[in-house]
Amino acid sequence: MSRKKFIESLRRQSTDLENHVIDEYLSGYIDRRQLLRHGSVFGMASVLGGIIGAGAAGSRAYADGKPGGTVRVAITTPAGAIDPILVADSAGGTMLQQTGEYLIIDDPDLKLRPVLATGWKPNVNADIWTFSIRKNVKFQNGQPMTADDVVATFERLSDPKNASNALSVFQGVLSKGGTRKVDDYTVAFHLDAPNGNFPYYVSSDNYNAIILPADYAGDFQKNFMATGPFKLDKYTTNVGASFVRNPDYWGPQALPDRVEFTFYTDQQSQILAMQGRQVDVIAQFSVVGGQALLNNPSVNVISLRSSSTSQIHMRCDMGPFQDKRVRRALALTLDRVGLIKGLFHGTADLGNDSPFAPVFPSTNSSVPQRHQDLAQAKELLQAAGVSPGTSVNLTTEQFLEIPELAVIMQNAAQSVGVTINLKLESQSAYYGNSTFGQSDWLDSQMGITDYAHRGVPNILLAAPLMSNGTWNAAHFKNKDYDSLVGQYVKALDLQSQRDISGKIEALLLDESPVIYPYFYDFLTATVPNLKGVQPNASSLLFLDRASFT
Amino acid sequence: MKPTVFLAKRLALCAVTLWILSVIVFLGGQLLPGNVGRAILGPLASAQAVATINHQLGVDRPVLIQYLSWIGHIFEGNLGQSYALQVPVSSLLGPALVNSLKLGGEAFCLVVPISLLGGIWAALRVGKFSDKVITLVGLSVSVMPEFISSIILILIFGIWLKWLPIAATWPEGASAFTQIYYLILPSIPLTLVLFGYIARMARAGMIEALESDYARTATLKGLPGHIVVWRHVMRNAMMPTITVIAAQLGYMIGGLVVVETLFRYQGIGTLIFNAARAKDFPVLEAGVLVIGAVYTIAMLIADFLVTFLNPRLRAQGGE
Repeated sequence: MSRKKFIESLRRQSTDLENHVIDEYLSGYIDRRQLLRHGSVFGMASVLGGIIGAGAAGSRAYADGKPGGTVRVAITTPAGAIDPILVADSAGGTMLQQTGEYLIIDDPDLKLRPVLATGWKPNVNADIWTFSIRKNVKFQNGQPMTADDVVATFERLSDPKNASNALSVFQGVLSKGGTRKVDDYTVAFHLDAPNGNFPYYVSSDNYNAIILPADYAGDFQKNFMATGPFKLDKYTTNVGASFVRNPDYWGPQALPDRVEFTFYTDQQSQILAMQGRQVDVIAQFSVVGGQALLNNPSVNVISLRSSSTSQIHMRCDMGPFQDKRVRRALALTLDRVGLIKGLFHGTADLGNDSPFAPVFPSTNSSVPQRHQDLAQAKELLQAAGVSPGTSVNLTTEQFLEIPELAVIMQNAAQSVGVTINLKLESQSAYYGNSTFGQSDWLDSQMGITDYAHRGVPNILLAAPLMSNGTWNAAHFKNKDYDSLVGQYVKALDLQSQRDISGKIEALLLDESPVIYPYFYDFLTATVPNLKGVQPNASSLLFLDRASFT
Repeated sequence: MKPTVFLAKRLALCAVTLWILSVIVFLGGQLLPGNVGRAILGPLASAQAVATINHQLGVDRPVLIQYLSWIGHIFEGNLGQSYALQVPVSSLLGPALVNSLKLGGEAFCLVVPISLLGGIWAALRVGKFSDKVITLVGLSVSVMPEFISSIILILIFGIWLKWLPIAATWPEGASAFTQIYYLILPSIPLTLVLFGYIARMARAGMIEALESDYARTATLKGLPGHIVVWRHVMRNAMMPTITVIAAQLGYMIGGLVVVETLFRYQGIGTLIFNAARAKDFPVLEAGVLVIGAVYTIAMLIADFLVTFLNPRLRAQGGE
């Protein structure tokens, strides 16, 4: 069959939406990578494989190494119990995912890869998404996994009575009662509102969403019972965990015989352990304090682009920041290229004062990049009537590179005559109760807050910036912005998303309620003779294809 | 006063001390910023989820009710359940206390003889070269923070020379000797920190005792030097040192957060530190009480030793 005829036959099998994605690719609007990534949102893996002549689902297509061996991993001590409903930290998420599996995995290139779901499709309005569930999958107790288990998992996570950590993710997207069984292997998600990126919400991006048995009794920490390629050998609170190969796994057998996680309370001892060859992998490290691992020939660093950032908010409803020219002026004082070099040894992308990180395909790169311009900053301050010596208060948290960034921001502002009074707090003091009036994060005049990676910008566009956003520390209220975000969330095709993101980016550059100076890479270290370790920026660590050479 | 009455009186005082400690820790915990549910679910969780978990844990009840319920369970021997880790507190505290006692014990066995010998040696050679070396080295190493000395030791003995393991956690089922071997490296920074202090106390006590009338009398009546030192001087010289050593036991058992962190050792110090950060009150309170108990017992033993060594106190029944 000729390529043309083949595409025609694919078109006949595809929905309107899928045909639109095929058109975008054929007309050159999106390239091959973007086609794979965006097509994956609509569950088009099998269709796309035919067009581009490559398996769309096989981003982890490693040449398999030898089976056997024990992979030793250093990881930060999980903050709490390994409970899929409650876990809120990255190390806890990594633990869940060693034996647990998601419907979909959001791969490092932000492409969705089917795991326990084999396919998914939206309806025309994108407010009902129907998922086909993989057959012949068994939980580690031998019980088969069906649609009932998937429905129970998402009903549990979206139930307000359960103190579920996924509630904030599902807010306004999926409510209890919205996940419905169609047949034994089909589940339909009836959403609160149309959402063009919904598959990300049930993917590994939402690390609470591992599929558990319908009769799950809340005792995950005892047995880690799920469907994955490894099963629990031993878990000791605050000490570590070990896993062995699951011989009944539905997919390819894991290569390592065993993986051992050792918990560390700080990064320095993890680095010393790697230098002393007591571990083979450091699941995640930051450049601050982790310089010894960079440019070290005996360490292999895996660097993944991400949307992780530190947001510098300025309160739009009080003091000099009520005038957007003052906010813009401060944003213009930062030397972002220098920041990336100094704080991250170059392992970060430039931020352009919007949540649209360069890593997102929907980011509109035609919007001009903001660079340091002290002359313009001074002009803006003068025009706004801000006299030299004006002082503002910046409150922030002691976390990763943030204290250094705060001092750099202070010096940069000083260069245009604005004095920043710094207040550094512990994380718990900074976040407080995380509600307006009871949180330095949400109440401070100016602050810096860490935001972890997300596969799509949706939640970063909404909670920290929309008028009713629960994390809106900048107290930014703009109807045009709210409406644009509403349109963006509904948009299904990449072209529409990019058109809207261009408008959002321009609006945020003009208003500048929050400075996004950079988006830093997710870093993992391994010993050089270990291949096949695959981290992703959502703090997942896949070890099933890992092998020593 | 009879020894039994003395002991009963001291034990009653210990119980009162521990009760006051429990009240202080409980109230202090309430002053920590943030709330329990928020600490468990993280800053970005929904307020509804936080309220739900706070209710499930009972931390939304009045403080007095929470305290009474907690202290009631303590009297029943139930230390409660960790909020954050969802396991019984005793399952965390027991192994951590044993680990801390092992590390503290090994460090104690290293630091006490070395410091006493150093202090006595220096006192017997006041003003001479060896006295100056011991005093100077003791002072210098005791001002070096553990996180500096630990890293230097790890780099030298763990990574370059590869003589000693860099993590203090031994493999499962390791023999007592292996455990001692794993604890050598983390014991050294503690020895360094305490050596200067204890040696200086021993030196000062010795010098004072050596210059005393009874020491001069003993020498003048023709007793050999070692008998004078051992029988007459040491007894009196060691009393302040024993009190100082006992006062350091609380630190050696519960205050080793830095060393435990750097050597990846699950001791009670780290457990309490993490519990305070996570607002995990059941673990925090039980942990502090246990350290308080160890401390008061150590002081009790020190009092007994001092009474035993000092005939005047013995005659007064330790008063």
